Parts: sequence; C-alpha cells; structure tokens
Amino acid sequence: MTCREFKHAAASLTLWELRTDNGKLLDHAEECSKCGAWMDRQQMLAVSMQALQAQTAGREAGPQVERALLRMFRQEPFNTRQSAAAFRSAPVAFRLSRFFEMGAYAAAAAAVAIALFLGVRLLEQRSAMVRSQNQASPAAPAAQAPHAASMMPAKVTPEAPGPHAVAVRGARAVHPAALSARSKPADGAAAAPTSEDPDYVALMFCDPLSCSSDAQVVRMELPPAAGSSDHDAPLVADVVVGDDGVVRAMRIVN
Amino acid sequence: MLNLTDEQLLAQALAGDEDAFTVLYRRRQGPVFRFALHMSGSSHIADEVTQDVFVFLLQRGHDFDPSRGALGAYLFGVARNYVRRALERNYSEAILNSPADEEAQFLVTEDDPADGIARRQTSTALWKAVLSLPEHYREVVVLCDLQELSYAEAAEALGCAIGTIRSRLHRAHDMLGRKLRHSAATAPGGVSRVTARCAS
Repeated sequence: MTCREFKHAAASLTLWELRTDNGKLLDHAEECSKCGAWMDRQQMLAVSMQALQAQTAGREAGPQVERALLRMFRQEPFNTRQSAAAFRSAPVAFRLSRFFEMGAYAAAAAAVAIALFLGVRLLEQRSAMVRSQNQASPAAPAAQAPHAASMMPAKVTPEAPGPHAVAVRGARAVHPAALSARSKPADGAAAAPTSEDPDYVALMFCDPLSCSSDAQVVRMELPPAAGSSDHDAPLVADVVVGDDGVVRAMRIVN
Repeated sequence: MLNLTDEQLLAQALAGDEDAFTVLYRRRQGPVFRFALHMSGSSHIADEVTQDVFVFLLQRGHDFDPSRGALGAYLFGVARNYVRRALERNYSEAILNSPADEEAQFLVTEDDPADGIARRQTSTALWKAVLSLPEHYREVVVLCDLQELSYAEAAEALGCAIGTIRSRLHRAHDMLGRKLRHSAATAPGGVSRVTARCAS
C-alpha cells in the first residue's frame, strides 16, 4: 500500500472504523513514519472523542422541557382531526378569500372608473360654464351688433314679465330651424320658448347641434323707424341670443 | 407502544395520542439534546433547541416523508437549524461565557480521581476544539464522531452529499488534531498524558 492509497482508504473510514478495521492501514503505518504519525493522531483523537462521548452520554433535556411539551400538547390543537380539517378547509377558504379579494379589486376599479367619468363630466361642465361666462360679458354688446347692425342702435332691457316675455335664462332655446325639423309638439307655458313658435324668425342658419346650446331670450326695444308704421310706439322684440352672443332668432312682440 | 417505530409513533402522536408522543420524545430527545449541547456548548441552548424541535415536529410533522430518510436524521436536521438560530442570537454571550468550561463540570468522571481529572481535561480540551471549528465542520464531527451517525445518515441530516461529509470530516479531524497538539503544548498535564497512556 502506498501513502496515497493509505490516505484514500483512511479518509473513507470513521474514527471508530480506523480503530477496528485497520489491518492493512496499520501495516502501512508501521512502515511509514509519516502515515504512522497521522494514524497516532487519529487514534488519539478517537480516544478523546470516545471519552467526551462517554462523559456526555447521560446528558438529556431537563424534565421541564417534557412538562412544557406535554402541556402544549394538551392545550394546543395538535391532533390530526383539527389540523387535518384546517388543512382540508384551507383551499376552500383560500378560494373564497381569492373570490372576495377579486371582487374587492373589481369594485375598487369600478369606483375609480366612475369617479374619473364623473370628474371629466364635471370638468367639462365647469369649463363650459366658464366659457359661457367669459363670452357673456362681451356678448351683450355683441348680441345686437352683428344682426342689429342694420337696425338702429337698440336699447336692451331686461325682459319684463308678461304674457309673451318669458325669462328663459338657462333654459334651452332651440333654433326654429331645428325645431321645425323635429316634430315634437309643444305643451305648456314652460315649453313655449323652446317650442316651435311661428312668430320667431330665424336670423341665421345653424345646425341643430351647434344651436342646441343654452340661449337667452332678451326683450329689446327697437326704434320705430326700424320697420313699424306706427311712429310713436317703439317696437318691442324678443331676441334669442345664444351662448356665443350670436342672435339666433327674433320676433316682434307688438 | 415501545415496539413501535419512530414513524408509527409520530403518526399516532399527530393523531392526538399523548402516550405515543411521550414515548417518541423520550426515545429521541437525548440525541437531539446532545447534538445541540455539543454544537453550542450550552445546556440552556440545548434545552431550548430540544423543545423547539419537538414543537416543530408536532406542528409540521405532516411534512415528514419517511421515504426520504429516517426520523432521527430529520430531527437532527431540524435541530441544526434551531442551533444555528440560537447561536446567532446568543453569539456574543456564548463567546464571552465560554460555555464548554461551564458544562465541563457536569462531565461524568470515574472513580479514580486522577484518571477522572485527566479525562475531564482531555474532554474539555477536545470540546473546546470542537466548538472552535467552523460550523459546517463542527456539524459533521458532532454527527459522525459524537452521535455515531453513518455518513449516509449525516448526509440526510445535513442535506448534502456523502462525499461532502467525508471530505469535511477528514479536514475537521486534521484541524482538531492540530488544535489538540497546540493545547497539549500549552497545557502539558492534559492531552499529553492521554496520548502517553494510549501509546502504552
């Protein structure tokens, strides 16, 4: 046996096996001083290990450990019935929890979508209101400017209550052309300004979409020379003014 | 009940049989305790680890697969993890208190006082040398040399190959031999006496 074979064989043995099954190894250890020294160290280690093992062989956990474990065994639901039941019910509970979790996610997503939709609508409405308010102030002089330019300077007065003067601020005035396109019957006084009124004369052509915005009916007094044979009484006209300040239609009241 | 195997006792214990659990505990607590004691050098840690191992067995015993190895090796594997955690938790305390010195007084001595003292010194020196080994070398020494597990059983407990166990053990023996020679040189009354006695 060479030293290499000796080391290879010794490495595969435990300390205890070195002390017992080492016939060939001992022969080589007697011949080779280096391997013999190594074998002596291993045997010394084996003896020391055996002494330590023998001296700690009687060491065990204290009785308090067993008492604590038995107390836990009695108190805790360690038995198979409960744990197995819990184990079996776990997938169902898991599925239910997943179901509720997905439902919660869907509800949250729907709430976010609705909030976004309402927010966008609100922003649109507010921007439209701001736009109309911005246009309302320059619209007053502009209201009579384009279409009344041919007429004489008119005096715009707030519309007085009367049988034909219905304040419809905020109400939707529909262009007569659009109204005529619809075959919707008018009913009641509230519907009067928005209904088809043959007295109104359209001053411009506009499509129903653009003319379906809010409009105001403004009563104006026109100079008698504007077209009345009666030179003393001023002409009173109801003018439909759109959000953009453009006059859509008018009618002569008297 | 005493004739039942570990696996049968575990099955009955998990079914709620307290007697089966008691028998299993009394059969297996000693090796687990000694493994933790040899690894940590502290009986307090060994007690704690033993309790943790059997609580783990009760809670997660269903995970044990007998086809993958014996219950004893499984318990050593669990104990190894708890020892590691305990040593990480109590590292500074363990180093400062030098637990092997404390535990050495509990080593069983023989009737002859001189022989007993010599053996105790030898065992204490060896134990200190074992405790000073790196953890992966200490594990194989404790399992194979002190717990007398085979290479295959140690490989099961540590979750590594048999060749790894063999090479680690060989290297650990070399390191222990050097450490014991060093301690014998610094304390001539200790190991050198045993060496002389073994040689005679």
